[in-house]
Amino acid sequence: MVNPRAAATLEVDWGSMMASAQDGNADAYRRLLAELTPWLRQYYLRRLPAAATDDAVQDVLLAIHEKRHTYDRSRPFGPWLAAIARYKWIDRLRSRKREASEPLNENLGMPDHEDTVVAQSTFRRLLASLKPAQAEVIRLVKIEGYSIEEASKSSGQSVSLVKVNIHRGINRLTSAIRKAHDAD
Amino acid sequence: MRIESLVERLSADLRPIRPRSILREAAVLFILGLVELAAFLAMGFMRPDMPVAMAAPSFWWKLASTGLIAVLGAGVAIISIDPVRSPRAGLRWMLACVAVIIASGWLIDAAHYGLSDLITRLDWAHGVQCVWKMVALSIPPAIAFTTLIRLGAPTDRAGTALAAGLASAAWGAFVFVFACPSDDPLYIAVWYTVGCGIVTAMSRAAMLKLSRW
Repeated sequence: MVNPRAAATLEVDWGSMMASAQDGNADAYRRLLAELTPWLRQYYLRRLPAAATDDAVQDVLLAIHEKRHTYDRSRPFGPWLAAIARYKWIDRLRSRKREASEPLNENLGMPDHEDTVVAQSTFRRLLASLKPAQAEVIRLVKIEGYSIEEASKSSGQSVSLVKVNIHRGINRLTSAIRKAHDAD
Repeated sequence: MRIESLVERLSADLRPIRPRSILREAAVLFILGLVELAAFLAMGFMRPDMPVAMAAPSFWWKLASTGLIAVLGAGVAIISIDPVRSPRAGLRWMLACVAVIIASGWLIDAAHYGLSDLITRLDWAHGVQCVWKMVALSIPPAIAFTTLIRLGAPTDRAGTALAAGLASAAWGAFVFVFACPSDDPLYIAVWYTVGCGIVTAMSRAAMLKLSRW
């Protein structure tokens, strides 16, 4: 458990490191990126399959680098970082939606992998908020790796209905995630 | 690439950058607006009966309406380029303004013209020309907004693209007001809505695609 005062101090430090980085201080920037890496890893371990975590972290580090001029040094650093991390997470979810079918990595659901289990249970909870027909085809196609046609046969839904239900389901998931974040 | 080497590479070629400034971006857009308006008038497009037109309430209605939407849209777009700011509340205000504008136009129309000769008043031939001129005048602001959005980091790209599309459309319409020969609220409501609708839809689609980061 992170002490709130320590977290606030850390955030102020990150903010001043980013301000120095904007002025061209490479050492402060290197320290900042190195300190952000574990935070980002933890963030994505709770939201993505473990195998996708490092890619997501690198993606955010690159985004931070390219968009560092958008950080306003008069404001806290934490919300800026969290907004970029969340944007990249949603972007990743959307990219996965565009891919027709993608079998998930075998590491997902390994009983001895705590972070993966947390991510999976979060995902299961989100799935439960969908209509049963949407949740069923998302589980079949996106988690278990069935093709659209196989999911259609297994669920008794037509091929086009499977596509529509996946599309609507993922939109609902994205919006649920967005709302949950806003509520936080 | 390993994360550690990425961190090394990013910090190795670090250069000082100028933090983003909302005021600077607003000033750039304002100057671009003035330049476009001045160039448009200098090319001789101003309507010849301007002093007479300025006496009609509908002239001020269309000028104020398009100007208000352009300013609001530009404000919402610029603010929402920041990753921590959402354009949604601003868009709701813009939609409320559009509703008030249409309702006030209807009141001006009903008070002055009655409801006869609707088709004649629409004046298709001029209307289509107006639409294309508005679309052409919206291109410079649309390019400016696209550049700003690509430089920024909007996290609600659809909302930001919509606000910028609306602002570009209203901006083009605002400049066109100085050349538009019609002060008929029905004509303005229909053809300005068509022109602004086309620009908004096209700009939103293009900016949404180009703003990915």
